[in-house]
Amino acid sequence: MAHTRISNKMPPHIEPARAPIAFGRRAIPKLNEELASEDLVTRQCALASLCDLVHDPERAYETIETGCLENLKRLLRDKDSVVRRKTTEVLYELSVHNVGRDAFLQNDVILSLAELLDEPVDICRVNMHKTLEMLSEFTPGAAGIVDAGLVPQLVLKLPSELVEIQEIILDTLHFCLRVNVSQALASGAISILKEKLLHNSVAIRSKAAQALMGICVPLEGKNEVCKQNIIPILVRLLKDRHPEVAAKAAGSLMIATITTQGKYAALKAMAIPPLLQLVSSPVTEVSLNAIKAITTLAEAPEGRQELLNHVAVLESKQDHSSEIIRRAAGTAVRVITWKP
Amino acid sequence: MTSVLPPQKESTSGTYTFSSRPRALPNRSKYRDPVAELQEEPTQYGNIMYDRRVIRGNTYAQHILPVSAQPDPIEIQRQQEVRRRAAAKKRAKDQLRPRTPEPVEGRKHIDVQTELYLEELSDRIVETDVECQTDAFLDKPPTPLFVPAKTGRDAVTQIEEGELFDFDIEVKPVLEVFIGKTIEQALLEVMEEEELANLRGQQRAFEELRNAELAEVQRLEEQERRHREEKERRMREQREVLRLEKETAEKIAARVFAKHYLADLIPSIYSNLRDNGYFYDPVERDIETNFLNWLVKDVENTLDDHVLGRKVLDMLIREVVEKRLDVFQQMEQQQQHNASA
Repeated sequence: MAHTRISNKMPPHIEPARAPIAFGRRAIPKLNEELASEDLVTRQCALASLCDLVHDPERAYETIETGCLENLKRLLRDKDSVVRRKTTEVLYELSVHNVGRDAFLQNDVILSLAELLDEPVDICRVNMHKTLEMLSEFTPGAAGIVDAGLVPQLVLKLPSELVEIQEIILDTLHFCLRVNVSQALASGAISILKEKLLHNSVAIRSKAAQALMGICVPLEGKNEVCKQNIIPILVRLLKDRHPEVAAKAAGSLMIATITTQGKYAALKAMAIPPLLQLVSSPVTEVSLNAIKAITTLAEAPEGRQELLNHVAVLESKQDHSSEIIRRAAGTAVRVITWKP
Repeated sequence: MTSVLPPQKESTSGTYTFSSRPRALPNRSKYRDPVAELQEEPTQYGNIMYDRRVIRGNTYAQHILPVSAQPDPIEIQRQQEVRRRAAAKKRAKDQLRPRTPEPVEGRKHIDVQTELYLEELSDRIVETDVECQTDAFLDKPPTPLFVPAKTGRDAVTQIEEGELFDFDIEVKPVLEVFIGKTIEQALLEVMEEEELANLRGQQRAFEELRNAELAEVQRLEEQERRHREEKERRMREQREVLRLEKETAEKIAARVFAKHYLADLIPSIYSNLRDNGYFYDPVERDIETNFLNWLVKDVENTLDDHVLGRKVLDMLIREVVEKRLDVFQQMEQQQQHNASA
């Protein structure tokens, strides 16, 4: 009788580093079983294949439906670093998809990830932080991270980590700060961010300024910022060559100068000339933030006096192509020329 | 000559009925007589091609045989008519066919051969008898081993190293799978990255807008708060001022009134005291109190005496009068009594 196998030998195993993927619907369940196996090589190969498969959103959904997350959580604590690295990669891929993020929140994957904060292997940490950052980008995820009390830990990690991890942490913090600022303030985030503002790397400076912008939103943040004399540093950053840094610095200024204290601190640090220069920058964000900062400074009488000489610059912006800039310029002109 | 078949009978006892009986071919003449043909009845043979019982073609419009084996008399009649008509038509057509004209008086048509080589004309068909007879069975000798004759040339071949397996050809499908999968994976990842980049761009734009709006909101809040505080302060001050003014006005009014009131006070006190008799002449007072008291008392007493005397007099008079009245009344009564009597 004919057999289904064509030859007595099994088909050649083309890629020894990856587990062979079964056909169609059987692929993910089979890999799931292999993940739970005792043999190290099997687990590594299964993880490598899973990593490739999970890029496809349908496969990602299948992965979650078949409950691979339990196995993955267990593998995060595995002794072998390759396994951990691949696991974090798989988790990162899953967190890119929406179903993945929802599943993470339901299955408390955040806490398991947090255990890796002190991980010795760099790449695992990088992946772990990238996963956290992806999670924090949407509000329930950020709320979850804040609830898990990770914000103080992240802030504390900030000074000691590698540069690229610092960037990722700053991004995560920026999103978490939208949800809750008090935890970050309590752990002294402002002083740490102050040092980062003067870092060599452009990305770190701009992200630190962005995080500062988030911190300044509630009132305590603004007061802290004024108390720690960050405003002169921000004014210095306005003259930075890179537009993103200048944009974020202008943004922080625009929020920090809403209090009277902030306004006077900014005026003392001679913020107005660089801001006026930034208004004419081609990048939308830069000029928008600069116009807004000028508006807040114009609320103070001294600022208004000085700015009355420069109303022309703002009026020229009123016929800009972008609608928000036009509105902002209109508001600025109105505030400057207001008589009590 | 044609022989007529025995008419068709349904042999009920036979196991087999013929639709067209097998028959031996009759001896027939080489050249058929044209006249004899006309007399021919349609032979009762059944041509399977025209048998109504054999179903041919599509069965959608099947002519179902009547239940009874006997054909319907109407059907028989109709068929006979049709046959007769066909025969009549054929006869008519035959008559219309041009024939050789009839022989002239006293002569007779005869067939003659006019070709170069004469041909024997006979009715008898040439027949030959052939017969065959197998030999009696003999013992068959064993068949010799069949060795096919050697044809062609001898040839030799040998597989050299590397001819059976050509790596370049064999590796192609494997490579294709490899590369295909890798590229597919890579494409997927690149698309993902693109999507992510797009999302990030959108996110950035959104964040700018959001930050700007947030700043605006806070600034306006702050402005509002400041203005309100300013207004409150001014209003408070204003109220303070008003209150002070009112107090001062009241104070002034009070003072004026008090002054006015008090100015009048001293003479009025004096006049009041005087009115109440606190300033008096002692002698006058003394006279008033003591002397006059005594005088008045005396006068009173005197008067009382007078009054008393008058009263006594009055009483006397009254008594007298009463007595007189009584006497008069008695007299009147007596008079009346006397009158009536």
